[in-house]
Amino acid sequence: MEAKQQVGLCSVCFHLSADPVCEICRSPSRDPDTVCVVADSRDVIALEKTREYKGKYHVLGGLISPMDGIGPDQLHISPLVRRISQQKIQEVILAISPSVEGDTTTLYVGQLLKPFTKVTRIAFGLPMGGDLEYADEVTLARALEGRRELE
Amino acid sequence: MYLKTLHLRQFRNYREQQVDFLAPKTILVGDNAQGKSNLLEAVELLATLRSHRAMRDRELVLDGETAGQIVATLQRETGITDLGITLRNTGRRTVALNSETLRRQLDFLGVMNAVQFSSLDLELVRGGPGQRRNWIDTLLTQLEPIYAYILQQYNTVLRQRNALLRQQNASSSGAEPQIDLAELAVWDSQLAAIGARVIRRRARVLDRLAPLAQSWHQAISNHTELLDVKYAPNVPLEQDDSAVVQQAFLDKLGQRAIAEQHQGTTLVGPHRDEIEFIINQTPARQYGSQGQQRTLVLSIKLAELKLIELVIGEPPLLLLDDVLAELDLNRQNKLLETIQDRFQTLITTTHLGAFDTQWLKSSQILTVESGHIKF
Ligand SMILES: Nc1ncnc2c1ncn2[C@@H]1O[C@H](COP(=O)(O)OP(=O)(O)O)[C@@H](O)[C@H]1O
Ligand SMILES: [Mg+2]
Ligand SMILES: [Zn+2]
Repeated sequence: MEAKQQVGLCSVCFHLSADPVCEICRSPSRDPDTVCVVADSRDVIALEKTREYKGKYHVLGGLISPMDGIGPDQLHISPLVRRISQQKIQEVILAISPSVEGDTTTLYVGQLLKPFTKVTRIAFGLPMGGDLEYADEVTLARALEGRRELE
Repeated sequence: MYLKTLHLRQFRNYREQQVDFLAPKTILVGDNAQGKSNLLEAVELLATLRSHRAMRDRELVLDGETAGQIVATLQRETGITDLGITLRNTGRRTVALNSETLRRQLDFLGVMNAVQFSSLDLELVRGGPGQRRNWIDTLLTQLEPIYAYILQQYNTVLRQRNALLRQQNASSSGAEPQIDLAELAVWDSQLAAIGARVIRRRARVLDRLAPLAQSWHQAISNHTELLDVKYAPNVPLEQDDSAVVQQAFLDKLGQRAIAEQHQGTTLVGPHRDEIEFIINQTPARQYGSQGQQRTLVLSIKLAELKLIELVIGEPPLLLLDDVLAELDLNRQNKLLETIQDRFQTLITTTHLGAFDTQWLKSSQILTVESGHIKF
């Protein structure tokens, strides 16, 4: 039997990665001054398909949801705050689906990051069924383009 | 608007039933427990995507089956629309317009409108505040379909916030109270922002409905009674301004913070709203006579009909479930005068005896017998 390759998480951005640090984090051609925060690794894949975004990512690993026992401590929020406060980041883009839990996570994370950098959120209308994953590439690219500073 | 056909497939006690509506008034006659109310329930679902008596979709599906369907053809001034709802035991629903499945259920609402009036509606006056909130929410959903989305968001925030308060409640009974105030603050602001939208929409619809209900009540009571329908929001509403209402909401959350942590549940917000019915300055709920309460419910239903017609621009359907026989002649006549041929009306009854012969002549009469309809 062939041993399955262990897929772990990137120690910097928490995206799925076979290596300790993922390809995107290692890439010299990616803009290190912009970080896009998403809920899930699948969102990274969806955003990569737009070929519109050239910065780095940070994957939270879920959304704040007390009903499911998920609070900020269960997500990769502390490492994000550390990362943003210790490096010179120009902009953090919050690209989290606009569900109730998504909005709560966006507001919570945004408040923690605002002392350190400019924080924007991508522009979404009414959610269809919810996830970035299901938004088509054109919609996503437009949402990214139309991002606004978080109040 | 006119419902031309209705097709029920594995819905409640109907296996397969097609109904063609051939007159503005249809009387469904049959013994108890034959499927009369079930048919009206199907129409109610088409109009609101809600049922006032089913808790889960599983109840709506014919026993022993996994899915059921309601299909209808509706004639409106703007044209003919086919509506379809598929209900499943799993609770997952699909809705379609003109055979095209919609991605958002929200887009299904507002196509068909109906006012339901059943003998259970006396509970609107006598029952708890939850009944009245449910009533106004159903009406709002028809008038402003986006409200269904707002309400669903509000209920989600509420459940999440309650879960958080419960966790904190559980942890604080131990040695170390663990309260993430930053997280709670975000849920507070979400609750206030979405809650303010619920409150303002409820206030606005009641503002429009109250004078209509008042004039109906006056007419039916021969000018002896004055009805006031008053919104009593849990969060004070001093001004119809989003920022002001949100601030009032947050202020009240601040005042009740300790009680909320103690009880582990949200004590502030439109889920605690009340709507007061007052007749001649006396609360109708505790003090109204049976006759007054009946007049009140009838007035409210007539006001709903009028308001929907005003807002939508077309008369909605009227669903009268067992209720006509319970009204005295004066109230019956007021109702019938209003309906005439303008509102398509579906009426259920166990006996045709209570009906005016003129009425019977101009109505389509269908017999309902254990999930079958005979023409
Ligand atoms: N999911 C279901 N499957 C089969 N029968 C059902 C279902 N739900 C309700 N019924 C049956 O429908 C009947 C009640 O129908 P209803 O329309 O309320 O009666 P009525 O004619 O008195 O208004 C009962 O006999 C009940 O057992
Ligand atoms: Mg019945
Ligand atoms: Zn990485």
